[in-house]
Amino acid sequence: MQSEQEVTELQPRTKSKGPSFDISDVANVALFLAAFLGIWQLVYMIGVYPDAILPSPAEAAGKIAALVGNGVLPIGIGTSLLRLVIGFMLSIALGGIVGLAMVKFRGFGKTMSSFAVGLLTFPSIAWVPFAILLIGFSDFGILFVVVMASVFSVMITTYSSLRNIPPIYVRAAKNMGASGFSLFRHVMIPAATPSLIIGMRQAWSFAWHALIGAEMLITTLAGLGYILSVGREFNDMPQIMVVMVSIFAIGMVFDRVIFLKLEERVRAKWGLGQNR
Amino acid sequence: MALIESTEPSGQKNELVLELRNVHKGFEYGGNGKATVDNNHQQVLNGINLKIKKGEFVTVVGPSGCGKSTLLNIISGLDQPDAGAVMINRKSKSKTNGVVVIFQEGALFPWLTVQDNVEFGLKMDGVDHSKRSQVATHFIEMVGLTKFSQSYVYQLSGGMKQRVAIARALAMDPEVLLMDEPFAALDVQTRELMHDELLGIHKTTGKTVIFVTHNINEAIQLGDRVIVLSPRVRNIKREFAIDMPRPRNPDAPELVTIKRQILKEFEEDFRHAK
Repeated sequence: MQSEQEVTELQPRTKSKGPSFDISDVANVALFLAAFLGIWQLVYMIGVYPDAILPSPAEAAGKIAALVGNGVLPIGIGTSLLRLVIGFMLSIALGGIVGLAMVKFRGFGKTMSSFAVGLLTFPSIAWVPFAILLIGFSDFGILFVVVMASVFSVMITTYSSLRNIPPIYVRAAKNMGASGFSLFRHVMIPAATPSLIIGMRQAWSFAWHALIGAEMLITTLAGLGYILSVGREFNDMPQIMVVMVSIFAIGMVFDRVIFLKLEERVRAKWGLGQNR
Repeated sequence: MALIESTEPSGQKNELVLELRNVHKGFEYGGNGKATVDNNHQQVLNGINLKIKKGEFVTVVGPSGCGKSTLLNIISGLDQPDAGAVMINRKSKSKTNGVVVIFQEGALFPWLTVQDNVEFGLKMDGVDHSKRSQVATHFIEMVGLTKFSQSYVYQLSGGMKQRVAIARALAMDPEVLLMDEPFAALDVQTRELMHDELLGIHKTTGKTVIFVTHNINEAIQLGDRVIVLSPRVRNIKREFAIDMPRPRNPDAPELVTIKRQILKEFEEDFRHAK
């Protein structure tokens, strides 16, 4: 009955709720923004740069209102996000399938992984001329660049995550009768999930970088990158700044809010670092 | 009492549940692999014969390198013998081969709750949800973890993890529970508690248990039969039947005698290895 005692003394730990909403965090961000805008305003008032080159924060804010009002910014954001999502999905599908094949066929995996690591360091912008000549100035040309920028990261992630599963899980599962697809579905995939998520987050950011670059160079009359390049053509600094802020905000929202939250949830469940 | 060598064990029935017939197993080592014998071939098991009766509690003890893990992998079906046969008297139709392993590290799945971990094997067998949950609940209760059924693995202590592993194995209704140094990573007190608990479970469920350990005390405290493996003969060297009531005091004179003999076997192997 001693064993009963050991159980009653311990209580299940409360599940960690992840990062909580903290008022001091908000204050810090507000302070940081205020300082940033303050310095900007100061530099503007001192007149280091002519008005046409460096607008005031108020002018930039007015530009946001104008670009939202005439629909350019919302449509641009929508177009870019659509391209990003489609490109990323294609990368996941393609990279996932090739990654699985790499796990399945040893020789192919070995060759392909060194090839893919090489292409991982290849600058995405360098795919642009190739895409223009091969596909032309179209959405598909942009998608091609986005996929090329992220597909190898997905491939490597899938390959290494599945190969690095602790063998004890697979042994235990096989001993309990798991095999084939159910072993894959109920053991391999969940066991690889923590590192898969980290890889997907990286692939997403590669895709995002590539997208803006491709949109600036492969002109299709829509998208954030296109608006950015139009701003340069017309010496429209407020427009450039507004698009930059949008790009920053979108990247931040996806990385911090979606991927980080997902990662934290998985890590909390596994008991890996509650310390963010 | 006790101290009869390789005679009949104290199993209730004489029905065989597992038999190894002349099992051989060896490994090839590459280049400068350790323990290299002729032609880089290292024989680990050299014609093992072993019969285990239903309901027996058999402990297997031996110094490191004696082939415990290899024997375990072969009995569990995770590895195949080079020659010889492993026969299991199976009753259930589960997808397992009737031998479920409890690993030293527990090998619980961190992405599942305690409940889902215990249900895992049944799920692989295609048992429906309500039946699964009923069986799992029963065995989680048996190991005293009902309150923790929705906890995740990291929230459990070492001893609790091994209890979940035991519940998970029992849920599959195996013919043989094969335990691979299951309590080696636990502190002494927890290990004692787990011994009591395991003996209680053995008594209530009547399961056949094969318990592999390098700890001589553990082996003689738990087993109806203690099997001593030797790395030198690569086979079973001796066997002791221990017909004493449990829980046993490892300092009882009969057990001390057996312990000395086992130690002597170990020392002999060690001398020859040098």
